[in-house]
Amino acid sequence: MNKKLSPANIVILAAGAVMLIASFLSFYELSILGHGVSFTAWSGADGFGIFGVATVVVLCGVVMAAQVGVDTFAAGVDIPDKPLGLTWDQVHLALGFQATFMMIAFLIRSNGPLDFGIGFWLMLLSSIALLVGAIMRTNEAGSKPRAV
Amino acid sequence: MDDNKAPTPAELTILIAGAVMLVASFLTFAEKTNAWGTYLFPIATLLPLYGTVMALEIGLTKFAGVKLPERVVGFTMEQVHLVVGLLAGFMAIGWLVTDISKKGIGFWLEVLGGLALAAGGVILQRERHTGAIG
Repeated sequence: MNKKLSPANIVILAAGAVMLIASFLSFYELSILGHGVSFTAWSGADGFGIFGVATVVVLCGVVMAAQVGVDTFAAGVDIPDKPLGLTWDQVHLALGFQATFMMIAFLIRSNGPLDFGIGFWLMLLSSIALLVGAIMRTNEAGSKPRAV
Repeated sequence: MDDNKAPTPAELTILIAGAVMLVASFLTFAEKTNAWGTYLFPIATLLPLYGTVMALEIGLTKFAGVKLPERVVGFTMEQVHLVVGLLAGFMAIGWLVTDISKKGIGFWLEVLGGLALAAGGVILQRERHTGAIG
């Protein structure tokens, strides 16, 4: 039987989905003489280090959402209770922190001629939501024991 | 040197990687810019930052006898090393496949350092018998 999603897991699942979709929208935009070019988290940007680096943020969100999705909806699938000795709450906290930290670093970084696109802003918001969801999970676990 | 102050292989790996990454952050990362320069700070600075934090923790507790909290946000210090090390390794791979041109010596030292931190963090689990690995 499928488990019921807790509020924290709903936040993580939604934020992870938004993160994945946003990664295919424009991260940076460049306008030259009225002609616009956009770069996604997967396409790279000729030396601005998006593909590979911003993709780490996307993967953090996808892993978090996938764990919640599999644990909740795929009853037959066994996932380890404590990967590398960490509880899943700790894994979520670490990945949520990493995603937010990296997106804030992108926000602070000097962009030169590039402007932030809608994909960047959605990724920034969803990374913060992932961290909030991870903190909520930890607080939920504090009030009642949880295996995953 | 007191025996119990001799660093273990994992601790040595983290110490050296952290020191190398801090120094390398001032060397050319891409084009003619280091990890603190325009267009790279602070995204490329995260790697040396992670390395420095891990090396500092080992250095302070091992050699300076500083007592740090046993847990940070619910993580033991060994778990902090594991998580920060793996995240550094993850970022190092990200930088390795990214499309920046003219990668400098600082870039390669940061990537190698990040991978070394991941290895150090994992081996530390075995050395300190945390049960996380094996």
